[in-house]
Amino acid sequence: MNEYDGRVRLVFKDLPLPSHALARPAAEAARCAGALGRYWPYHDRLFASQPAFERDDLIRYAVETGLPREPFSRCLAERRFASAVEADVAQAGALGVRSTPTFLINGRPFVGAQPIENFRAVIDDALRVAR
Amino acid sequence: MNRVRITPTRWPRVYTFWTMCLLALLPIVAGGAGLAGGARAQAPPESGTDPGMIKGPADAPVTIVEFSDYQ
Repeated sequence: MNEYDGRVRLVFKDLPLPSHALARPAAEAARCAGALGRYWPYHDRLFASQPAFERDDLIRYAVETGLPREPFSRCLAERRFASAVEADVAQAGALGVRSTPTFLINGRPFVGAQPIENFRAVIDDALRVAR
Repeated sequence: MNRVRITPTRWPRVYTFWTMCLLALLPIVAGGAGLAGGARAQAPPESGTDPGMIKGPADAPVTIVEFSDYQ
């Protein structure tokens, strides 16, 4: 993102796969963090802490990223963002996205965790087309 | 030559047959047009996303929509 400062926008969508049992609570937890103003720090923390996503872990990461324990825990327990995560899952289905990570770069699908050079090539191409 | 003559008495029957065919096909044709229209009108994938889950300017020439899970 820094490399393409101002020229690229990143939109994150949740697609917790059914085979990853703890991915959905993690996605909901990230949205709780977002509601409390710390989405990206918590998001980064989750990726750095894979795959330890039991409830106590999620709360501990929240506290460690500066979130207040009580409202975060309540949000998580109430599953306040369950439907929002589900909406992303439904949207992925409608778009034919079946695996993670999948990127749509100006609508062009780019599937899998690929080397950074491949990303650069596709982004540079999209920038050329957009000019 | 055997010619089928549409007599005044057959007209209503022929007319009714083709009308029924058209009426039967109408929902299929209309449904297909609706699907095509729906696909064309599909909202961009970034629509409806919580603004807190977006990084970068709204007018950036490139938008990357990432579908991912944490596990």
